[in-house]
Amino acid sequence: MTTTITRTTIRVVVPIVLVVAILLLLQGHKLPGGGFIGGVLTTAALVLVYVAYGLDYVEMEVLDREVESGGGIFERRIVTAYRRLFSLGLGLAVVSGVAGLLFGEPFLSQSFVVFHGVPIYHEVELASALLFDLGIYGVVVGGLLTIVSVVGAE
Amino acid sequence: MAPDFSVVAAAVALPFLAALTAPPLYRALGDRTGYVGALVAASSFALVSTQLGAEGVVAVPWIPSLGVAVRFAVDGWALLFALLASGVGVVVFTYSATYMHGGENLGRYYGVLLAFMGSILGVAFAADMVVLFLCWELTSVCSFLLIGHETTSDDSRYAARMAMVVTVGSGLCLLAGLLLLAVAAGGPLGGTTFDLAAILANGEAVRAALRESGLFLPVLGLLAIAAGAKSAQVPLHFWLPNAMVAPTPVSAFLHSATMVKVGVYFVGRVRPLFLGPEWTALFATLGLATMLVGATLAVVASDSKELLAYSTASHLGLLVAAFGFGSYYGPQAGSFHLLNHGLFKAALFLVAGIVVHEAGTRNLNRLGGLWRELPVTAAITVVGTLSMAGLPPFNGFYSKELLFKAAYETAVTAGGLAWVYPTVAVLASALTVVYSLRFLWIFLGDRPSELEVAGRPSTGLLAPAGALALVAAVVGLVPQAAVDVAVQAAADATATEVHAIHAVIPTHLSGPVAMSLTTFALGFAAFPARDRLQTGVDRVISAGTPLWPNRWYDRLVDGATTTSIRLDAVVHGGALRTYVLWALGSASALALVGFVAADVAVRPTPELGVPLAVALVLAVALVAGGAILTAPSHVAGVLTLSILGFMIAIFYVLASAPDLALTQLIVETLVLLIFLLVLDRVPAFYHDVDARVALTDGAISLAVGAAAFVSVLVAGRGANEAPTAIAEYYVSQAVPRAGGTNVVNVVLVDYRGFDTLGESFVIAIAAIAVMVLLTMRNRGETE
Repeated sequence: MTTTITRTTIRVVVPIVLVVAILLLLQGHKLPGGGFIGGVLTTAALVLVYVAYGLDYVEMEVLDREVESGGGIFERRIVTAYRRLFSLGLGLAVVSGVAGLLFGEPFLSQSFVVFHGVPIYHEVELASALLFDLGIYGVVVGGLLTIVSVVGAE
Repeated sequence: MAPDFSVVAAAVALPFLAALTAPPLYRALGDRTGYVGALVAASSFALVSTQLGAEGVVAVPWIPSLGVAVRFAVDGWALLFALLASGVGVVVFTYSATYMHGGENLGRYYGVLLAFMGSILGVAFAADMVVLFLCWELTSVCSFLLIGHETTSDDSRYAARMAMVVTVGSGLCLLAGLLLLAVAAGGPLGGTTFDLAAILANGEAVRAALRESGLFLPVLGLLAIAAGAKSAQVPLHFWLPNAMVAPTPVSAFLHSATMVKVGVYFVGRVRPLFLGPEWTALFATLGLATMLVGATLAVVASDSKELLAYSTASHLGLLVAAFGFGSYYGPQAGSFHLLNHGLFKAALFLVAGIVVHEAGTRNLNRLGGLWRELPVTAAITVVGTLSMAGLPPFNGFYSKELLFKAAYETAVTAGGLAWVYPTVAVLASALTVVYSLRFLWIFLGDRPSELEVAGRPSTGLLAPAGALALVAAVVGLVPQAAVDVAVQAAADATATEVHAIHAVIPTHLSGPVAMSLTTFALGFAAFPARDRLQTGVDRVISAGTPLWPNRWYDRLVDGATTTSIRLDAVVHGGALRTYVLWALGSASALALVGFVAADVAVRPTPELGVPLAVALVLAVALVAGGAILTAPSHVAGVLTLSILGFMIAIFYVLASAPDLALTQLIVETLVLLIFLLVLDRVPAFYHDVDARVALTDGAISLAVGAAAFVSVLVAGRGANEAPTAIAEYYVSQAVPRAGGTNVVNVVLVDYRGFDTLGESFVIAIAAIAVMVLLTMRNRGETE
């Protein structure tokens, strides 16, 4: 799994996969995609990196940070970041639902606004559901990567 | 006068609010927290007393869709109980401030005691079954926490668990009874209702509906079990003496004056609804049996608190019996004795606490002649015990006389076997005289030589007990005052007909007066011979030991423990294989049995027009499925498995479900990656396949396959069928209402956002669970 061919391929593929994942997240409301799919794809991209380079690679090479040796898996900063990510995502999803209450709508009511005359796109729609989807994305990425990195470290 | 919702709600809520602040308050104030508690109790008392004379129901909606409301009914009975609870509360908190000095976990102690007072006030006023049940169970929970105050002592843990099992377990009977009542009352009241006040107000119609549906006896029985267990009626009385391991103020407050009276209170509350021959047969018998058994056990008790505990059970029996009698004297006796017993018994418990504090023992055989050292305590005890014995002119006399009247009248009316009632009442009361004197002998009798007294009790201990004894003495001297203030109204609320209470010392002989005189004669005659009496009773008790309810409880609990250990070893074996086998097997069996039981029609002509491309994809999937079985290694197996997954993704594409296909593809990839990550660590070879295991696996696979196949056949929609109304709605509203052209996503985030949110919680919980499992293993907390 750690051959040069795998590593090189992964170097090329992972950025593309990440971009596609974000695309899927953003276009979800109109075209195939959404928070869950985008989240799983992002996770898959990072798991690819793990398989080829190991757990510390993301932190050391991509983020250019020192990895403290000796501490347990839970002290790793990246694991803490994953944990925070899914808590944040969950929070965002709930808050986006509560926002509806402020307008006298039931919990989790969504709304949308269409902007006309935007350059290049001509017309852009902003749906509050995107926030909710973003929350789901955070939960999926954070949750799955926590599991994978914690179990993977065993 | 109509009650004021805000006042009643404040009286109930104030203790709860104070309970929340108790732990930090204790850190700041120390023992003085007790005085804050007394202040809270006094405020509740004051708030409740502003409602004296009020009658009516007040409510604010809580769960309107279910018809549940925070509904308070104020009447004489509720006010009497609430005043007693908050009044004794003032005394007990004051006493605790001194008595509990230097104890551990006092922040928790005061918090729970306050919460308890709030819930007891809640029970008193609740006129909604849901609120009533909540408060009722809260009192049990608080009692559990307070009995188990000494968390390190085995005795207190055992007693706390026992009280929990008996009272909370019987609380479930209350729940069942209330639900049945709600359903049955739905007929005359127009729909199932939790409004107890409305049910009681339409007593005639509800009773008729209960009789008609055959629920009268089941409801009555369930409520009787709940009230009986809570109020320590035989055969469920055994938890009460055990509960005496609680600190003395708790015994005085919960286990004599308030919580144990909740059952009695409830009996009085529903009395007008159920009153009839069954009611009298049940409650008069139950109550008098408890009265006799409790009094007998109190006579042989050697521990001062144990004596008081059995005596409490006996007096609770008296109360239940009083409400059981159909005569109007019954509720009068019950209401008046509720007050009297609360006053003298709480005072006597506080006395027992003082004696422990000063003499260091609760053993009655080692106590005696303490009146020289503790003169004030002795005076309090004289009032308390003589009132308990029912001697005139102490307050206990009047209520006991009323009970005798009720029993006598019932016997005269019914004749025959009903004469057992007054006989048992007299016998139990005579025993009451014996044990009352026995308790009094702590102060009067001969002084054992080895007894040492530490010193004079402080005012903090004496004043609360003295206050209770003083009120008891005043009620004894001017009973009409108590009747006018609260008791008459309480008796009216629980009776079906209104009669004025005559609480006077009789001047000429009548049946009930003769009963009283017999009681005193028997009691005073038996007291000098109490040793012989004790030996006799002891012999009877030891002969009946195997039948003792305490034994049954132990056997039940031990049996449950050993059974669950054995069951756990079988069910929770730790092999993932077994779990999966059972989960899948039972799921498919349930599904298939369900289809058969519901007699579901399978589509007569499955449309077999499968396009070539789909057939091809499915064929490849089938081949892959077969190949997995013969895969030479794990890696090959996993890769073959993913062929199957990808084929399903392609099938989704062909069935024009791009979102599903995308999800399937990505999840398949991720699973494959994770498998590869894990497979590195898994040994390549376990052992040869066992034929029996293979057979089970095959069978379970077939079952799962069959269940899935039949489900699809039954539930699936044909290609030519019109979409359902919901599908139509989703598709037609996606763009105008939600602004999204991808209906699948719109369903996820707009229509069914709650489901998606729930699922994301599941993911978060799974992640947390994995972390917790691994952290705990690293800390060595699992075996």
